[in-house]
This record gives sequence, C-alpha cells and structure tokens, in this order.
Amino acid sequence: MGELASRGVLRAGLAGGVVAIYVALVGLYTRFADLELVGEQITLGRVMLLAPALAAGSVVTRPRTVGGERRPVASGPGLTIGILTGLVSGATFALAVAFADWFGVDRIREVFVQISEALIDFLTFGLGVPSGLLALIAVSVAGGAIGGFARTAPADLRKPAAVGILAVLLLGLLQRIVPIIFVELGFEADWLYSPVTGGLTWLGALLIFAASAAGSFLLTRDGGRASERMRAKVQKAPAAKVGLLVAILAAASILPLLLGTVISEVLGQVMIYVLLGLGLNIVVGYAGLLDLGYVAFFAFGAYTTGLLTGAFLNTTTGAAQPALSADINFYFAVCIVALLAAGVGVLIGAPVLRLRGDYLAIVTLGLGEIVSIITASKWAQPLIGGPQGMRGVTKAEIFGLNFQDNPQHFYYLALVFVLLALFVSRRLSASRVGRAWNAMREDEQVAEAMGVSTIKFKLLAFAMGGAIGSLGGALFAVSIGSLTPASFEILVSITALAVVILGGLGSLPGVVVGALVLIGLPGLLREFEEYRALIYGGALVAIMILRPQGLVPNIRRSRELEADEASQDAWAKAATGEAEAVAAVVPGGALGGEPEDLG
Amino acid sequence: MSDARRLLELGGVAKHFGGLYALSGLDMHVNEGEIVSVIGPNGAGKSTMFNVVTGLYGPDDGDVRFRGDSIVGLAPNRITRLGISRTFQTVHLFPNMTILENAMVGQHCRSRSGVFGSVLRLPSTRREEERIRAKAKESLAFFGSRLAGYRQDQPAFALSYANRRRLEMARALATDPVLVMLDEPTAGMNPRETLELRDHIVRMRDVLGLTVLVIEHDMRVVKGVSDRVIALDYGRKIAEGTYEHVANDPQVIEAYLGTKAVG
Repeated sequence: MGELASRGVLRAGLAGGVVAIYVALVGLYTRFADLELVGEQITLGRVMLLAPALAAGSVVTRPRTVGGERRPVASGPGLTIGILTGLVSGATFALAVAFADWFGVDRIREVFVQISEALIDFLTFGLGVPSGLLALIAVSVAGGAIGGFARTAPADLRKPAAVGILAVLLLGLLQRIVPIIFVELGFEADWLYSPVTGGLTWLGALLIFAASAAGSFLLTRDGGRASERMRAKVQKAPAAKVGLLVAILAAASILPLLLGTVISEVLGQVMIYVLLGLGLNIVVGYAGLLDLGYVAFFAFGAYTTGLLTGAFLNTTTGAAQPALSADINFYFAVCIVALLAAGVGVLIGAPVLRLRGDYLAIVTLGLGEIVSIITASKWAQPLIGGPQGMRGVTKAEIFGLNFQDNPQHFYYLALVFVLLALFVSRRLSASRVGRAWNAMREDEQVAEAMGVSTIKFKLLAFAMGGAIGSLGGALFAVSIGSLTPASFEILVSITALAVVILGGLGSLPGVVVGALVLIGLPGLLREFEEYRALIYGGALVAIMILRPQGLVPNIRRSRELEADEASQDAWAKAATGEAEAVAAVVPGGALGGEPEDLG
Repeated sequence: MSDARRLLELGGVAKHFGGLYALSGLDMHVNEGEIVSVIGPNGAGKSTMFNVVTGLYGPDDGDVRFRGDSIVGLAPNRITRLGISRTFQTVHLFPNMTILENAMVGQHCRSRSGVFGSVLRLPSTRREEERIRAKAKESLAFFGSRLAGYRQDQPAFALSYANRRRLEMARALATDPVLVMLDEPTAGMNPRETLELRDHIVRMRDVLGLTVLVIEHDMRVVKGVSDRVIALDYGRKIAEGTYEHVANDPQVIEAYLGTKAVG
C-alpha cells in the first residue's frame, strides 16, 4: 500500500469518525436505537452505527482515474483498506466517546442536549466505557470491511448482495405498511414480521435477502444483459407495455383500500409533491431554467382555488368574505386556476427572460419569497386573510366522495391529477415543443440560431410549469381545507426541487420516485420527522456526488459513453468499405449504409 | 442587373467591442447560387461578420440586407426562418440529444405545432412530426452513411469530431435555408475528410441549389470551391475576386505575414 493509499485511509477514516460523532450529537442514534429492523439485534440505530465507516470504506476504495484510465482497486487490498479505514473511523469515534465519558455526560449535555447516559450505553453496547469501546471499534471495522469489499468485489457478487441487503432494510423500515397489506390481502404476516418487535423475523429477512439477491443475480449477470433484453422485449411489444401500465394503474388504484387512512394521507401528500415535481420538471428538467421560487405557483393555485370556491377569511371576530370571491364548482374552478397560473408563469417569466443560470435562480428565489411574504402580509388580508389565512375551502364533492375528510377518497382525486400531469408531460417531452425546450437547455444561443424562439419557449415553459404546479396547490387546498401562510414558505420550493433532482432531471418516473423517497418515507416513519431537513440535505449531497443523473435518470442522460463507442467502432469497421465509396462522392442522398432507415 | 441576384448585402457594417473594432465599414455581398469564401488572418472579423449577419450581434453601424430587406435588429430565430442558416467555428451541437433530434430541431422554424397539438396528438401534429422526421433524415443523408442508420438514435456527444461537424452542417441544412454560412467547416479534419467536405460544399450548391458563404483557412478548399473569394483584415475587405486574383494580391500576402506559403 502506497503513501497515497494510506493518506486516503486516514482521511476517509477521520471523516467517517467525524460523521459518526455528528450523528451522535444530533441524537439520531438514540432516536432509532429501539427501531428493530430484523430480530432484536439489528436495529436502525445499529445499522446507522455501521454506516459512516461503511461509507468511508467504500469511498476510499473507489476506482480512481489516473491519466484518463480507470483503475479499480482489487478486492484483496480493497478489504484491507476498508478494514483499516474502519479502524481509523472507529478509533476516532471511540476516542470521542471516551472523552465524553471522562469529561462527564451531564456537563456536555449543557451544550449538546442529545448526549445522555443512554447514548453512551448504546454506543458501548451496554458494556461500559473501556470494554465497550472495543466493541464500537469492532463494529466500525466491520463497516469499513463491508464498504471496502462491496466496492471492490466482483460485480456478480456485490450487486446481488447489495440488492439483498437493501431490500431487507427497506422492508424492515416499511414494517408498518407491509404487514397491513398482507393482512388486508388475507395472508398471514407473522412469519415475516415479528408481532413482538414489529420488525422482520430472521427467517423473513433471510427469505427476502435470498429472493431479492437471486432476482438481482439473474437480471445483472453477463453485465446486465438479461435486464436489457427484458426491457427491449417490453419496449418492442406494445401489448406488454400496455399490460405493465394497466398493472401499475390497478395497483395504484387499490392501494388506499389496502393501506388504510393514515398511509393514504401520506400518499396524498406524496402526490401533491409529484404534481409540483412534474411542473418544476418542465421548467428545470426540460427547459433548463433553474427556478427556485416555485412555491409561488403552489401558493397561487391554493389561494385561487380557495377564492373561487367560496372559502372565507379567518378574522379575530370570526369569518369574513374575501374582497374578491366566487362560489363555483371545484372542477370548473380548477381549470380557471390552471389557466390563470399559466398567465402568472408568463408574468414571472417575462422579467427574467434575459437571465441565465445562477442569476435566474437568484431572481426566481426572490420572486418566490415575495409571494410567500405577500400571503402573510396584513396588506393582503382583505383578499386572502393575511396571517390568519382562509378556511372553508371546497370539499370538491363529486359522486358522493369527500376529498377533504377522507384521505382514501382524496388519494383518487390526486391520482387523477397526477395521471393527467404525467400524460401532458410525456406528450410534451416527445414533441416539437419538448425538442425546442431540450435544445434551449443544451445551448440557448444555438437553439435561437437554429430557429427556436427562446423567448416564446421560455415563457411557455414557465406557463406550463406554473399551470401544473398550481394544480398541486389546488389539491393541497382541497385536502387541508384551510390555508395559512406557513404552508407556503421557501421550503416548498426547495423540496420540489429536491424531488426533481433526486429522481433525475427530466425523468417522469424519477419525479414519482423522488416524491416517494422525500415525502413518503419521512411521512411513514414519523420518527424521521424532526430530521427531515437533515435527510433532504444529506440525500441531495449524496446524490450529487454519487449519482448526479438521479435515482431514475432520464434515459438520454444516462447513456454510457463507453458502450456507445464500442458499438460505433464495431459499426465503423463493418462500414469501412462504404466510407471509401462516400469519399468518392455521389450526388444526392441515394448512397448510405442502411437505406431502410433513411425513410 | 447584378443587383437583382444579390442575396446578401452588407453595407458599411461596423461592430466594436469596447475599443476594439472587429468590423469597421465592411462592404460585401453574396449573389444567389454562389459559393463565396471569406479568408483572412485570425482576428480579421470573419466570425464577427457571421454573428452580425445571423443576428447574434447587432451591428453598431451599417446595414445587412437579405433579399433586399434589412435584417438588422431581427432576432436570430427570425433570421433563420428567413432562410439564413449557419454552423459555428467551434462545434455547437445539442450534445445530449440524439443525432436525429439534433437535425429535427433544424426543422423547428418550418413547423408550428404547439402545446395543444402536442398533448392531444392531433392528426395535423402527427403529420407535421412525420414531415419533420423525414426532412431531418434527408438532411442527414446528405452526408451519406456517415450519419445514417443506428447512429441516428445515439446522443450527439458520442460522435467523432468529424461527424460532429457533419451533423452541425446537416442541422443547418434541415432548416431549409437559402443561404448556408459555414464557419471553418474543415477545422480539425484530416486531409481525407477535408477533401470529402470540399465536395459536400460544392454539392450544397449543385444538388441542393443553395448559396454558400464559407469561412475557411484551408487554401486547397478555398481554391476548390470558391466562385469568389473575399479577404478581410482588421474588419475591412482588403481584396475580392477569383482565388488566383486574391491569392496574389499583395495586401493579402502581407496580411498573412508576407509568406506566400499559404497559397
């Protein structure tokens, strides 16, 4: 091991240790110490204990690019490096714990309120400071070893293992949902989830691991060709595509019946953010205009829906009519809201037409703030209620469904809106309009020079994004029934952007996945609630570093250069003869390799 | 008279950046059906002239006329729609779009489907999309098998350098232009590719019936394609005429540091 590697080990190990100390200081360990994932031994807290060293071990053994050449680390040294990194990380953490114990937990708690005897107890596995620290270091070493091994082992081995472990962790985390579905479907769930701890049983975990690892192995062997073939097959057969779509739709439409009201409510919130994400995806993902003030459309949609459907203002003395209001049917009103929001999009877009990139981001951030401040201002009180807000937004009743008080019903309303927005987004992306947006995102000046009116298409992007975003606001207003400025703060813009980026810019499934991860997971695991911002930040940093194209990237953006070049070389070799003929030049488009492709 | 054939005419065009005069009183014209080469040392104002004509820069003085009408002050996309299309000195493609999509963007200004047509997929939109696709493929086919077949569904960034240049030209052709302006089309190409491209430039006129204005450094290409050569230096025209005439012009030779080797 060279000097370079040892420095890397030291650096990554220290970073892992510091992260572990940070996690301890914010109280994540104690919070999740008792959330059993598998059996009684594997709690979320303990998994988190393993995580920093694992991440450090994985980072330090990553393949390096030296002079344009990718050099992966062999798995033998990878394991050693991982263990050493884990050792450094664990030692750092153990030192901090020993210090805390020596200095006095109570004295530290005056500043770091989460530090407690229980935390020390958890970190030392109940063994007390001197001997428990060894256990702590051992866990770290194990984490580092796993990280190093996971990164350097042959793909045939590590991919199934990783998928298996992730599946177990995910199902363990979803312990409040999956058993309910089982029971609703009439299956026994006790073999999978222990009724005592709530987490997976060891048998269940083993079965899940085996099944998902085997599935992953089958799909990823020969370098992922099996899954590629399957995808190609589905893409070639329209029937399979339709079948898949119907299956997803069917699953989506029975979900709330299986899951009950609490989880349906979470899913309703997820879908509001799916709408926001889809709208923002048009602006940021398709047209490449970084809008940090997207909350403006959300607020506009919500308040306009309220005003159009006969909501009234909260005042200190009771209720009052807004200065401007109507009382029309929600389904009619929502069309007006979308149209008006498109107009607002143009209004917001017009002053920022000449701005690009960072400048655009800052100005839209300001415009978004202006809208949030207006919603909370005394000045706007006669119109939208100011700080006290509005209540009595329509329940949008139709066919006897109550969308406000019944989350299961609301789910269906939201589903219809989401499907509509997905449909519109998809059609637009594969059209002349989508192409113009794409061209603008790639190179604005060249798009203009090629005949795309960038002014028109920028405004169009803001209008479409605004219209879809306002639908999210309208839904939100219906679901909650009353509106207060607290719901329309900058965090909405940030969350919507996080949803789009996490999922993958320009990718529609990505938006859905992004919303499920960022809104659904914290909603389901209430324990996470107070760490929501921390998780957003962490998830975004991680995704930007590890997978900048997003979780479910737009296919176009994820294509791998190497694969393309390989096929191109093969093709070029076969076509050398033709190329010679081309050099001789015959007029017209009559020559060419594959006449059937030339239309 | 000869005026009737004048497709593009620059009269006294000036453009300065701060104190630097990139163009100072440039007069030149391009006749219909001509291939005109613009030569000159680096910094002579050739690319600035292109940017002024295509509307990326507004001229500080003078007039640019296309088919007799002034196009000064029009947005670049409007100028493209009028029938002037261009390539760039350094290749500017839409790298993450496929090759076919790159060419299809060229047809943007010749089509009109909007949001409603696209979302509802109206019959007229579908027909238009078919037409755009066919036209884009036709433009790509201009370069023979180079941009044909499976390559059309690959992202543009996966292309070789020479093919990127070809794609940029195909995209320009896809706008249905009257005048094509090529900014150093052979830069960075090997001798064989350069020869091939020379023939393509001639074919643009002979087969497609286009007028071509080309900035070029490779004198073999200039000699091979030009009906007329215009030499620029310090933002002014210093010589004009046949290749032989311009190449032997003392001012031109001086502009190229007094070496005759360039000829």
